[in-house]
Amino acid sequence: MSALACIGEPISWLRLESMALGERDLPAAAHLEACAACRTCMQAIRTDVVALPPLRVPEKIASRWAWRRWAMPVFGVAAAAAAAIVLLVVRPGSVGAGEDERVATVKGAGEVVIDLVRDRDGAIGMGAVAQTFRAGDRWKVVVTCAPGAATWVDVAVVEQGSPAGPDYPLTPVRVACGNRVVVPGAFELTGPRANRVCAVMGVATAPARGAALPGEGVACMTVRPEPL
Amino acid sequence: MRKAERMLRSREDAVDIVHALFVDLIPRWGRDVDLPYLYRSVTNRCINAIRDRATRARLLEREQAAAAPVARVRMDDVVVGVSLIAQLAERLDAGHLEVLVARFVDDLTQEEIAAQLGLSRKTIGKRLDRIRDEVIALRGEAA
Repeated sequence: MSALACIGEPISWLRLESMALGERDLPAAAHLEACAACRTCMQAIRTDVVALPPLRVPEKIASRWAWRRWAMPVFGVAAAAAAAIVLLVVRPGSVGAGEDERVATVKGAGEVVIDLVRDRDGAIGMGAVAQTFRAGDRWKVVVTCAPGAATWVDVAVVEQGSPAGPDYPLTPVRVACGNRVVVPGAFELTGPRANRVCAVMGVATAPARGAALPGEGVACMTVRPEPL
Repeated sequence: MRKAERMLRSREDAVDIVHALFVDLIPRWGRDVDLPYLYRSVTNRCINAIRDRATRARLLEREQAAAAPVARVRMDDVVVGVSLIAQLAERLDAGHLEVLVARFVDDLTQEEIAAQLGLSRKTIGKRLDRIRDEVIALRGEAA
């Protein structure tokens, strides 16, 4: 654990969190001005994008005869799902190609799924609500992989249709696998074109930059600009 | 969630703790729930998680690989992490553990802890002395 020396009595995390939420605390603010250790902690709070995944609430147990009311629609949906499965088996790769880009297989870490978290003026969005960008949005990458493993992650951003090569806004970092582990650091997306945000991963060392994207051990997501 | 993660060094477990807390809170929403209340609730749930032997083993295993948070307050030059809390959980009751976390994980002052727990500063001081004695005893046993 890294230890930082405070110039006096450290400002508690509770007070720092309250200040980050907008509470005015003049003595603490004065302390932060003078103390690099506490300022670092405050910065850590402000730069951390906490994305609490939505909680699935289990449906209530249906009453004894309620199944009759739902039987017909359920059978209908089941039949449609069976038909869709048949189509997918017959024509693999025809559906869901974009979704698969989020998943990469990294040797030594297994399947790694990436997601993007958007911070727009304090409103945190993820998944379907975080597929567009505008100026001022801050983005973070989260990775999900089997606990126990670890992987290097380097974030590459490519502007679609641009001749320029990928931009690497963050320092490569090694993260311990888990459920939605946040890659340290945040970045912004700019420009009038769609951006592909890719996580370039490797287990042994930080991945070499400049490799073709997407490629082995690379998971990507596309984010589009919002109309002005 | 940051607070739970600071205690457990695992975002996955922190998410579980916070989810469970809100599942319990939402039906009773409207009661006076503020940040200090949430902090105490998260502390107690994290202590329970660490006390659970199966969870503890997993947390200790992950602590090695987890990104270390910043520490500004230390107990006699010992940084308080999951392993120390787990060891002390065998020796101290919930009240002492709550003070331990408030002081050495959340960096609260003795006055702030006293106000938050509704106890006198003298009591907080006594609990911290007892915690320090246990840490010294643990070091003696390890040596």
